[in-house]
Amino acid sequence: MSAKGKTRIGTRTGLKDNANEKMTSPPPTEKNDGKGRSWIAAGVLIAVVAAAVAISAREFVAMWEDPPIYPGPGITEQFMLSSIAPELAGSAADTEVYVLDGDSPGGTLLILGGTHPNEPASSLTAITIIENAVVNEGRLLVIPRANHSAFTCTDPQEGAPQTYVIETPGGDRLFRYGSRATNPIDQWPDPVIYVGSSGQALAGAEVRNLNRSYPGDSGGYLTEKLAAAILDLIRTENVDLAIDLHEASPEYPVINAIVAHENALPLAVEAALFLEFEGIQIGVEASPINLRGLSHREWGDATDTLALLIESTNPAQGRLRGAINSELILEGADPYYIRAAGQGLLYVPFSDAGHPIEERVGRHLDTIAMLTEIYSSQHGDQPIRISGLPTLSDLSVRGLGTYLDPSIRETDHSPP
Amino acid sequence: MSAVPIELWVFVAMVGGFALATFAAKLPVSVSLAAAAILGALVAGSGFPLRQFVEGTMGYLDTLLIIATAMIFMRMIQASGLLDTIAHHIVVAFRNRPATLLVLMMLFAMSAGMITGSSTAAVLTTGAIAAPVFMSIGITRERTGAIIAMAGILGMIAPPVNIPVMIIGGGVDMPYIGFGLPLLALTMPLAIVIVLALGFGSARRATIDIDALPPSYHSRYGWKLYLPLILLVLLIGAERAFPLFFPSLGMPLVFTICALITPFTGRRLRPLVVSRDAVKAALPVMGILAGVGMFLQIMALTGARGFIVSLLTGLPTGWLYLSIAVSMPLFGAVSAYGSASILGVPFVLSLLGTSEIIVASSLSLVAAMGDLMPPTALAGLFAAKVVGQPNYVRVLKHCLAPAALTIAVSIGYIATANFWDRLLGTESTGLWIGVIAGFIAAVVAVVLVLDRWAHRGRNQEVAS
Repeated sequence: MSAKGKTRIGTRTGLKDNANEKMTSPPPTEKNDGKGRSWIAAGVLIAVVAAAVAISAREFVAMWEDPPIYPGPGITEQFMLSSIAPELAGSAADTEVYVLDGDSPGGTLLILGGTHPNEPASSLTAITIIENAVVNEGRLLVIPRANHSAFTCTDPQEGAPQTYVIETPGGDRLFRYGSRATNPIDQWPDPVIYVGSSGQALAGAEVRNLNRSYPGDSGGYLTEKLAAAILDLIRTENVDLAIDLHEASPEYPVINAIVAHENALPLAVEAALFLEFEGIQIGVEASPINLRGLSHREWGDATDTLALLIESTNPAQGRLRGAINSELILEGADPYYIRAAGQGLLYVPFSDAGHPIEERVGRHLDTIAMLTEIYSSQHGDQPIRISGLPTLSDLSVRGLGTYLDPSIRETDHSPP
Repeated sequence: MSAVPIELWVFVAMVGGFALATFAAKLPVSVSLAAAAILGALVAGSGFPLRQFVEGTMGYLDTLLIIATAMIFMRMIQASGLLDTIAHHIVVAFRNRPATLLVLMMLFAMSAGMITGSSTAAVLTTGAIAAPVFMSIGITRERTGAIIAMAGILGMIAPPVNIPVMIIGGGVDMPYIGFGLPLLALTMPLAIVIVLALGFGSARRATIDIDALPPSYHSRYGWKLYLPLILLVLLIGAERAFPLFFPSLGMPLVFTICALITPFTGRRLRPLVVSRDAVKAALPVMGILAGVGMFLQIMALTGARGFIVSLLTGLPTGWLYLSIAVSMPLFGAVSAYGSASILGVPFVLSLLGTSEIIVASSLSLVAAMGDLMPPTALAGLFAAKVVGQPNYVRVLKHCLAPAALTIAVSIGYIATANFWDRLLGTESTGLWIGVIAGFIAAVVAVVLVLDRWAHRGRNQEVAS
């Protein structure tokens, strides 16, 4: 074989590969001068990065402080979820459970708000209940910040604000706008693929999504521990009816809807029918059997509770939205969603009026009221009767801030 | 809405600022991206939102760690002699069967991507092992770079792990079930066609001189030499196979553990020097990703992202296909996963009525082509580093035709989604086995014919 015909191999993979380094550091002309300049440049860079970290850290750390919740006249007890699940004690996942006991016994209802803190109507509905509701019959448990850790950060590359402010008669009140998922400071790193206790395979980041972590695992990831604790609460408190509050982006097919486990489907259908009579359009979706890890599926499978999830419309969490700020979060009006509605891309009507927070919280409150009313009529021996809740029309007329006025709550009631 | 929305000005300022900083001021791409993000925030009236810049960058923390540690691992096994050894033995075994060798090495190069769902991890691990083999059979380093870049991307999309599809599915509540066969049908024919198109011409003509091959260190170090790779496969494989029992260490820690044992398994090397050089080589890409994070964050903050997405998703069907073909790879330049999330979900929703599984599978592949799109071009850039080509554009040039073919096939797959759904979405095990067996038989037949042709050509050359 002639040397000409041979293929010379150019792949000696030795210790040195200077070719790659050409991209990173052109050699200095004067060796010593180059080194000196490099050290100065490195020093300046480190100082700039350190200053940026120090300044921005103050903003990140500010998220760790919870804005106050002012227990209303109906609150009879408050405890931390860790009292049921000690493994949560001292962790960022531990969260408050508010109890509203009725004058007479009945069924038990669980309201879960703040599973996804970037869906503000969820936790605001729960807080409105805590600060206004009175239970006449039965028992009500409310968790306003279900994924407490997720309230301490925002989603990277979404540009979301850390807070929003609701005007109340007693002054401006600040609330946190958080992340869809547990703060990575509290749970990290994510696996590449998340196969939860339900067996469902999901993208790794979903390991920090509470509503993909059910039925949970008391020895698993922090979010799984939280999910297991919530399921334990449902079991130990004999919860008859459990409602997980959410919001969805306007382009998401399951929106303005009740998602029901098959054991709660008749209840959801009847409630939707009566809500329609009252002018509230709401769909009913059966919980998919093959989509595991979600509250409406796993709560219903693992316990006797009637498991439901409610969705309202939140353009701030969507992919088609314009600039994100407090106005978008609270007013729910966005020019690009109006355009998308014209193009037939949305699953809800969208106009200049947007979907203000009053509408979204009001829909949640009216749906909860209707579900409990129908549940009580179907379970005469275990009624759940709640008063003091504002309605959609109350909120539309008076504004949500009227029902979240801290000046009233600070003087009238304090947690037992 | 005003005639010219502010978001348009923000977008123009950001893109224009980036172009000016990169091409006129000759700033590094990473610095240009950061400057463009700052300019965008100023034009939008958001001031200098430092927290937003930091948060955008931190969105890539995991990716940055994976890149750094994978690069260290790759350089370590390169220095220990493992890569040379594997390349040597594979070429010796298959030197007379170039088509078989190409196809097998392509599948091998894809395998890390199939397991990790990351083209970067694939290029830097199995791609780095396959690269010397390809070059040893006469394929130029630029073409070799293109082959392993495409292998990384196709591996990232091929089952069992396809993260872009999982991201799209998460946005529309579609479980990651029933994607196996559609993803195989989409990726495997492409992989075989691409590797043969890029490599067979050179490999067929090459006469391999065993003495000129990278040396084997097997006789000197024995099986100890392969420990880092075996451990890597075990750690990644165990997590995938037994997710409920085996703890997830995270890819950065897995690469770090495997890199740490490497100095004790083969040729003597200076771990700190090799690690430093590896990080130095990866630093420009890591800087670009940090800048991209800021850029994306400001796009989302100011509404420029929504402006672009709503323009793209509102197009009529024919234009929609064109929009998918152009916008998803372009957006993938900043992040393939981001492209799947930001554009993939709205595109699936705007194509409802056709098989969502086929549509999401195809969109994931189109989004993944963003890993070839400058300025990040993660797959192309790391492939260039693996083959020792300092200018990654030379590698990307050879990726153009395969990328165009891949996008065209993906769009065709979407356009005929319901047909593929009927063919591949069946629950009949018999049909599944039939489709797979038929495909394997066809591939084997083609490869054997090509091997025979190459062998005959070489014999004639020797005779003459």
